[in-house]
Amino acid sequence: MAATYDTPSAQLAPVTVKRPGPSHLGKILTYIVLTVGGLIFAFPLFWTVSSSLQTWQELRSFTLHFLPEVPQWANYAKVFDAVPFARWMANSFLLVAIAVPGTIITASLTAYAFARFDFFGKNVWFILMLGTMMIPTQVTLIPQYILFFKLKLINTYVPLTIGAWLGGGAFMIFLLRQFIMSIPRDLDEAAVIDGASPFTVLWKVLLPLMKPALTTVAILEFMNIWNEFFAPFIYLNRILLYPAAVGMRIFQGIPLENTEPRDHLLMAAAAIMTLPVILLFIVAQRYFIQGVVLSGLKI
Amino acid sequence: MAATTTTSRFDVRAVVRRELAPRKRWQNIYGYLFLTPWLIGFLGLFIGPGVTSIYLSLTKYDVLSAPEFIGFANYVKMFTDDPLFWPSIWRTAYYAGVGVPLGVLGSMFLSILLNNKIRALPAYRTLFFMPSLVPIVASVVLWKWLLNDDFGIVNQGLRNLGIMDPPGWFGDRRWAIPSLIMMGLWQGIGGTRMIIFLAGLQGIPEELYEAASIDGASAWSKLWNVTIPLLTPTIFFNMILGIIGGLQTFTAAFVATEGGPGFATWFFSLHLYKQAFDYWNMGYAAALAWFFAVIIVSLTVWQMRLSSRWVFYYGG
Repeated sequence: MAATYDTPSAQLAPVTVKRPGPSHLGKILTYIVLTVGGLIFAFPLFWTVSSSLQTWQELRSFTLHFLPEVPQWANYAKVFDAVPFARWMANSFLLVAIAVPGTIITASLTAYAFARFDFFGKNVWFILMLGTMMIPTQVTLIPQYILFFKLKLINTYVPLTIGAWLGGGAFMIFLLRQFIMSIPRDLDEAAVIDGASPFTVLWKVLLPLMKPALTTVAILEFMNIWNEFFAPFIYLNRILLYPAAVGMRIFQGIPLENTEPRDHLLMAAAAIMTLPVILLFIVAQRYFIQGVVLSGLKI
Repeated sequence: MAATTTTSRFDVRAVVRRELAPRKRWQNIYGYLFLTPWLIGFLGLFIGPGVTSIYLSLTKYDVLSAPEFIGFANYVKMFTDDPLFWPSIWRTAYYAGVGVPLGVLGSMFLSILLNNKIRALPAYRTLFFMPSLVPIVASVVLWKWLLNDDFGIVNQGLRNLGIMDPPGWFGDRRWAIPSLIMMGLWQGIGGTRMIIFLAGLQGIPEELYEAASIDGASAWSKLWNVTIPLLTPTIFFNMILGIIGGLQTFTAAFVATEGGPGFATWFFSLHLYKQAFDYWNMGYAAALAWFFAVIIVSLTVWQMRLSSRWVFYYGG
């Protein structure tokens, strides 16, 4: 059922290539497709940065400027003057700081229960949990909104982060459960014979081995929270509480009547908002790819 | 994959037998102890609200006054007396029906290319992966600029190529959904889904390729007769998740066009949102949500049924 465990190195192999390549012609074609495709995929990112460093007059002229005449680094400062973008970014970081530990802790606990204990009703709970992935969020949205409204939790971060502290979502639990199942039980049993409690087994034996999967979960949760638009949009209605994703829409939506065009500033804001995710990915990418590959997302 | 096998080959009697078998007490105690946080969330944030929303769907409710029971009137209304209901369904189906298969196949072919022994592989992978890191709202702002009617680089380029009347993209009723699909493909093709395909490719036993080589198969025939059939479980998995997600698309359409122009991107989730939070028709919105859930679950179950015809489990 789950990924079977051979040796760690055999499972790490996915990231490296093992197959003999195609013919010469095929290889050249592959390079051409990948290079052209790669340039097309990268272009919008290049264009964000380039546009963010131009003046609006340059952007709104009918001759194309691929690069700014003089890089306008001041555009980045102007974003922070135009809207409370620093505050919005800080709010996003705060939400991440609340949610990521919650997901890591509670999804690990749940995954541990499903992977290692044989309790009454386990399979039923497990299937129900997977079933939650199928049900659209809109089904629970309205009663949840009313619940948080009645509890006077509108304009707090509770509705946005409580899920992370209550299991962190079926996908994360499933990912960690698959990973735990690929760790041989002998390791747990050896620890139990040495007198370890189930908590100690999780803490001392499993969690250290789960580092790639936990990093994956942390990155995915970071990205979920950073990306999340809908929940903060409906649960928050004070501008200074907004995370960057919602703030960005406000910035985009300010009517142009009394201000000069601000495409350059919007591009700068988009770049600012994307930077933390890219930095995180660069730092953690080795673990991230291993985690996805190892966590039985291997199908 | 485990999830799909457990649900598709589900033997009720075996499960019941297993559940009723006696087990050690500490297995129960610790099992439930570790399960508790999720269980609270499941009951409090999922089952509770889910059941409540069934009830609300049978009422007229504006949050301020108490819900008023009206039977199935909300369900009747959506089919007979809501001019935006069917259009929102067709638009959602168009978006997901075109965008998801293109995205899944795109990721598959990209992963096959990136699974070759080529130079600078990590650089290529990073190049394709980067767009998936861009937050959706930032991506919308960026694409609205790229596709800006007058000053966007795409239209400027098209004009330079002699197309003097390029599409208005997000501002054009016919092009608004294709614009969203394009943006979705840019973000999705090289992302996590592609990595899942890479993992699937690595799981294909080497012997099969060796055997094919001995039989004199060309690279092309290996692709069609070995690689793609063995990737069908991965395609299936990604299609299921993709369709569930694609049908629920909200943020991109809401931020890019707010359902416009002229309701061209008025997706179902947007319709539901407007009913709930602009008009405070909470009862009606709950009915819409349950209808939506039934559609999504039926589609998923139908795909699972259909899967036995085309998904090939090697050695399983």
